[in-house]
Amino acid sequence: MRQDDLYINKIDWISICIYVALVIIGWFNIYAAVYDEQFPKSIFDLSINSGQQLVRIGAAFLIILLIMVADYRVFDNIAWILYIIFLVLLIITPFIGKEVNGQILSIGFGSFRIQPSEFAKFTTALALAKFMERPSFDLSTFKHQLQALTIIMIPIILIMLQPDTGTAMVYFAFFIMLYREGMPQRYYVLALTFIAISLLALGIEENLYIVIGVVALVLLLIISGKKKISRIIALVVLGIGIIAYSYSLDYVVSKLPEHQQNRIMVLFNPDLDPLGAGWNVTQSKIAIGSGGFLGKGYLEGTQTKFDFVPEQHTDFIFCTLGEEFGWVGSLVVIILFCSLLIRLVMLAERQKNRFSRVYGYCVISILFFHFMVNIAMTIGLFPVVGIPLPFFSYGGSSLWSFTILLFIFIKLDSHRIQLLGRMG
Amino acid sequence: MNIKRSIVLRVRLAFLIVALIAGAILFKIVRLQFVEGEKWTAKAESANFKYRQVSATRGNIYAADGSLLATSLPFYRVVLDPTVAKTNVFNEGIDQLSGLLADFYKDRSKASYKKMITDAKSNGKRYLILNRKQIGYQDMQMMSTWPIFNKGRMGGGVIFEKVEKRYRPFNSLASRTVGFLNEDRYGAGIEYSFNDYLEGKNGQAMFQKIAGGYWKPVFNAEDIKPEDGYDVHTTLDVNIQDVAESALYRQLMEKDAAFGTVIVMEVATGKIKALANLQKNKNGRGYSESYNYAIGDQGLTEPGSTFKLMSMLALLEEGKVNLNDAVDTGDGVFQFYDRKMTDAKTGGYGRISVREIFEKSSNIGISKLVDQSFGHNPKKFMSYIEKAGLDKPLDFQLKGEGVPYFKKPGEKNWYGTTLPWMSIGYETKLTPLHTLTLYNAVANNGKMVKPMIVESIAKGNYVQKSFQTEVLRKSIASEKTIKQLQELLEGVVKNGTAKNVHNDQYKIAGKTGTAQKLEEGRYTRRYYTSFVGYFPADNPKYSAIVVIDSPKGFNAYGGDISAPVFKEIADKIHAQDLRLNKKTPADVYLAQQTSDFPYIQAGKVDELQLICNKFGISNHANGVNEGYVRSKSMDRSIQWQANQTESPVVPDVSGLPLRDALYVLENKGLRVIYQGKGRVKNQSISPGSPVQQNHVINLILG
Repeated sequence: MRQDDLYINKIDWISICIYVALVIIGWFNIYAAVYDEQFPKSIFDLSINSGQQLVRIGAAFLIILLIMVADYRVFDNIAWILYIIFLVLLIITPFIGKEVNGQILSIGFGSFRIQPSEFAKFTTALALAKFMERPSFDLSTFKHQLQALTIIMIPIILIMLQPDTGTAMVYFAFFIMLYREGMPQRYYVLALTFIAISLLALGIEENLYIVIGVVALVLLLIISGKKKISRIIALVVLGIGIIAYSYSLDYVVSKLPEHQQNRIMVLFNPDLDPLGAGWNVTQSKIAIGSGGFLGKGYLEGTQTKFDFVPEQHTDFIFCTLGEEFGWVGSLVVIILFCSLLIRLVMLAERQKNRFSRVYGYCVISILFFHFMVNIAMTIGLFPVVGIPLPFFSYGGSSLWSFTILLFIFIKLDSHRIQLLGRMG
Repeated sequence: MNIKRSIVLRVRLAFLIVALIAGAILFKIVRLQFVEGEKWTAKAESANFKYRQVSATRGNIYAADGSLLATSLPFYRVVLDPTVAKTNVFNEGIDQLSGLLADFYKDRSKASYKKMITDAKSNGKRYLILNRKQIGYQDMQMMSTWPIFNKGRMGGGVIFEKVEKRYRPFNSLASRTVGFLNEDRYGAGIEYSFNDYLEGKNGQAMFQKIAGGYWKPVFNAEDIKPEDGYDVHTTLDVNIQDVAESALYRQLMEKDAAFGTVIVMEVATGKIKALANLQKNKNGRGYSESYNYAIGDQGLTEPGSTFKLMSMLALLEEGKVNLNDAVDTGDGVFQFYDRKMTDAKTGGYGRISVREIFEKSSNIGISKLVDQSFGHNPKKFMSYIEKAGLDKPLDFQLKGEGVPYFKKPGEKNWYGTTLPWMSIGYETKLTPLHTLTLYNAVANNGKMVKPMIVESIAKGNYVQKSFQTEVLRKSIASEKTIKQLQELLEGVVKNGTAKNVHNDQYKIAGKTGTAQKLEEGRYTRRYYTSFVGYFPADNPKYSAIVVIDSPKGFNAYGGDISAPVFKEIADKIHAQDLRLNKKTPADVYLAQQTSDFPYIQAGKVDELQLICNKFGISNHANGVNEGYVRSKSMDRSIQWQANQTESPVVPDVSGLPLRDALYVLENKGLRVIYQGKGRVKNQSISPGSPVQQNHVINLILG
């Protein structure tokens, strides 16, 4: 008896409370998104999305129960097996899956369907944790860097083939975890510069500004820094590289599929094609923008009804919140997400073994990436990438995979004392 | 130590980035909701609500007696927003409504309608077109009482979308004169020429954009009321028009001609009472109105002998000839420079009087006289044409009037032969309307009035604009000349080329015309025949011109082709006018005309047409191209309607005589059993069902 009481106390209830709060708010929002004032149905009605989502939420609680009663060692032991299983599932999905809008994402029987690409997130996280758990592992060696990269890249490539660029992008979030674990900073500086230049080059009509900026910066660095010839050459080469890149970007973009090009261009100028590629974002902005401080009130939204915003109940669920609960509602949800993330960082840092910590950072990275990209795209800060808002968006695979992802970590965290012994 | 510091730094950096991004997102939301809030709110409204045009009701076109020639009738498309009705209203009414819809449209079953509506409701579809078929006003009124529908737009979700359709109560009657207007606002006839008045001013109303890109009216009322168009009152007389059209149609059919035109005008006022244009259909079967030959460019042709009146006018005004002067017309061939002029009679008319020249329409006689009098000064001849107002367009009320063509003396294309040929109506071009205007002036004792077809433009009792008879020339010639010309025209009917239209009841005066058609620079064996004149000659009331182009057959002269049509029209108008003035035996004829049609239901089109034509009942095919038709009576005429005998479904044989029904049905592969005698009263397989080979169909005759 005493043992049980103790175990319950070891569980991090703060994270669980935030999780429950997000799931419940999400569920109410799904109801609002499909609510029809003229023909109201109960939130529990199984013929509408909210009713179906409730069933999934129920299933999610079962999954949580299973994870919590399972042996904590099992995750460590089956990490590789799970990783391989889901890689196989990813490979066969395009052949046995069901095609929707030109993508084959899900497999399953009858009405029960899952998206392997969603679940592969936690299996990849487990595999990374398992791999990096080895005492000999050192991220400062190129060999180990490459091996970690391979574990991440295999699912990315397989998912790109489906093709589902949005979900594939999520896997790049693991680099956040790698950063914490000691991946050299120069990669991140390079990558961030690359991203920044890309955004600038696409956003600014005239690339000349970038050229002037880069040349000025390089000159400044040469003058101020240590005047080693090799360093100066490296800087100049980098500068020329950036200029060449910014000029070639238009060509690169023009090679992308048209819908992706549109999504990027619309980010910089939503009025470019207000009824085409810019439609989603414009409608979403209209919804959020018309919400005001306190919002229009629950179920009172007008923009988020009648399919004005496509993917209302899935990827664009945040705009229902923005319209009906206004700035205050958005703030509450953002605070909840940030609190969860920060709480998880704290939990990850208190892990005594590397497996749990690496896994914890994987969870943080994925949740952070989803949260950031999803909300940023609904308010026009980021190109439209079809990824769901964790715990909020309608859909079984998304809810279950995030639940599994999070609760494996909460389970690991609750056993951090025992895991310490294992390490020794 | 270093590693530990580095990790702490990295974790702090991670915190910072989370905070930064959360901050950026919050900042952007603040901007969206507060700084740009109004813009997006306004956009939310403007994107989904918009003022859209509400069409004004187009004005009507009336005949002189107030009969409607063209009107706009409202038709409705029935649309349902199934999500509007309250659940209990919907559930109570849906069964009955589906049944009523199925009974009304007859295109799908009750269950299918019910499924369509409930599916749309559960899918949240807010704009369900129940049927694309448009319904009339009466049907709309009836439907408004049906369950769910009776709750209206706000309570039941029913939307009756109004579509205006132009409707011609008299169908093809004067259809070309009434005209049309297409979507590019181009058209013909009155619809086009008076469009500024007819179209009215469009209004505006608020529409809401609903899912699927449809626009749904928000309120029942418009924000800017459309201003309805003005009505156009024409001078057309539906009875005269009908008479003219039928007479022309029959003659065209009989002579297998290319096209024909009839204009009937009131002498004193220039009011056009009938204006018919019929052209052979492209498929070679029947005739219909397609081009206004009476007025338009394509009607502009060499008038031929009817122009001799103009030459005679000039000669008499000049005072060079006397009607009783003798002229040698020779042996029927006369050489003018390098060209030979011939007369219709082989061997020629020899020595005849001026009067006879006109009555017999001798080309040589007229051209010789004109050449003698004006050959040295053709400008003098042209001045008479100008004085008679023939050289310039009439500025007629309908758009597209043909411009008369005359060569001018002294110009390059004026040869020595031009004047003689012009004097008999060649090398010059006039529209039938223009020629008629000249004859009308003669009938009107020299006073030339401008033809008119629209009397007034009005809305209800309020007259916006009225048109008065316009006098173009107080007198086109001296009183003496006019008297002589009238005498000559009467002579043509009494003794000359139009003897066949002479009758004892009343006097007709007029002139025949037969022009050889000029094609690719050569005169062909095809003729443009006409008769133009007026009646009753003693006290002219109406003038008219009949043109029939390219008749086939041996006698292709105006006297044989066009004059009889003129007479038929004149006879009927005369009889009608008599009725208006006094009771005469003609009432017998009129009683017959106003009584019921003979029993004609359906049958073989050729036979039915024959019967109708023999009885003088106007009948119109309107492009129906089937062997077996059924009749529909429209005012005083019959319309032939398609009977679907040539499509792969069971045709409607009701009304057909047994022989025809057997022929039609057995051709479809059905086996026919019948009872009774007479015409088909009932058939066991309903019309429109698919034909199954060797099925037995039961007919009940009666």
